[in-house]
Amino acid sequence: MNRDEILGQLTTIFHDELDNDEIVLHFETTADDIEEWDSLSHIQLIVAVEKAFKVRFTSSEIQSWNNVGEMIDCILKK
Amino acid sequence: MILQLNQKFQHQFTVDERVYQGFISIFEDKNLLHTSEEFARKKGFQSRVMHGNILNGFLSFFIGQLLPTEDVIILSQQINFKNPVYLNDILNFEAFVEEQSEAVQVSTFKFKFINKENKTVSAGKIQIKELL
Repeated sequence: MNRDEILGQLTTIFHDELDNDEIVLHFETTADDIEEWDSLSHIQLIVAVEKAFKVRFTSSEIQSWNNVGEMIDCILKK
Repeated sequence: MILQLNQKFQHQFTVDERVYQGFISIFEDKNLLHTSEEFARKKGFQSRVMHGNILNGFLSFFIGQLLPTEDVIILSQQINFKNPVYLNDILNFEAFVEEQSEAVQVSTFKFKFINKENKTVSAGKIQIKELL
């Protein structure tokens, strides 16, 4: 998968987990850009992303991400 | 994490008069299916059907009181009701840790409640986070 394909799949996960089909994700998107992306929903997003892409993150990886693009780069490295 | 993958838990709950009346007293759901023998029988049940959400109270007890740590918060809960529960039914509760995400300290339990006839009356999943 390339970055764009992962972005598309992540968008679907964000729609499901945050219960908002109008969310449009970009590589630069951060939690500040999405109202529903709060601390608890962030945890559920991580769990859903791990499950969907069959990957496991470390807590330091998660803390290092500044935006969606960096999350995608981390998935690509797995 | 304190919880471990595949860790199992068991407990026995009874839907007794105190639990039944307590639920009605607090939440005021007096639907005839729950309060009228005659109505419940007309609808094909043996007796008054206990509120399904009483089981959610038992799940709250499980997460809050039976785990090896009290530092937990429920993130999500999904429950399916498969068979009716009647007054004074004794339910065997079984749960195990089906999935874990170490990075965010999340465990997902799969659970079921089984009655004395060995029928699963309810089953589902609970996702919890261990608080640091």
